[in-house]
Amino acid sequence: MFLAFALITLLGALGMLLQKNIIVAGLCMVASFFGVAGLFVLLANPVAAALQIIVYTGAILVLVLFVIMMLNSHEEEPAETSRPIQRWVSVILSLALAVGAVKLVLASKGLQQLAEKGAAVPPAVTLQGVGAVLFADHLLGFEVAGLMLLAAMVGAVALTKRNL
Amino acid sequence: MTGMDAILHGGLQGYLVVALLLFAIGLASVLLRRTLLLQFMGVELMLNAANVALLAFARSRGGDLQGTVFYLFIIAVAACEAAVGLALIIGLYRHRDTTDSDRAASLKQ
Repeated sequence: MFLAFALITLLGALGMLLQKNIIVAGLCMVASFFGVAGLFVLLANPVAAALQIIVYTGAILVLVLFVIMMLNSHEEEPAETSRPIQRWVSVILSLALAVGAVKLVLASKGLQQLAEKGAAVPPAVTLQGVGAVLFADHLLGFEVAGLMLLAAMVGAVALTKRNL
Repeated sequence: MTGMDAILHGGLQGYLVVALLLFAIGLASVLLRRTLLLQFMGVELMLNAANVALLAFARSRGGDLQGTVFYLFIIAVAACEAAVGLALIIGLYRHRDTTDSDRAASLKQ
């Protein structure tokens, strides 16, 4: 199961990276986010999985797809100036980051100890438990997050409106 | 569980490897694609990679609820970023008629 969801996630992400059509790239992102939600279920965390589907695929990506269709920019515009050096440097940088980080994770003794210590599957996270922790320990953070969402909403309206 | 085994059967290292590869793909799409919308999606991908790593560590600590709460805050920030970022892209498109980041290299017209 883990391998299946991991493959969905990574192939969706790769599809987004390589796809020419931007709408298809957005739909690849949806597949990738569903894969991530599956990974969260395997991590005994159905709350996060539900939130992932509702917020990321349901809200954020739908918003992105709406903007793509509204701007009518389905294809990437042809490059103004080709920058071969920058492109090769970024390819090499990303590959080096991926390979190096994976090697570090696989070689790490501390991570292996941590994985062995927490190998038993914990009880699934419940919404009730999350709510209790959220409102008992993080009430201020919760309020600030609400204020920040309001500010972002007002800012988005102010930025997009032609004449206020 | 050793490294390769963990990747195949979903140990902590397996989730971390997935998260790191997801981050690298997101970084590559920010660096390689020219359309701002795709770069934006790459940023979302990198945020998601962080979430996967965070919740994997929370699970290996015995299902720590603080991890899920932190994930909630990350989602709130991502939603704000999406709203403001897309508004900026629309604003740029109105001014320049383009969503290409190379063509928006200078802020003045």
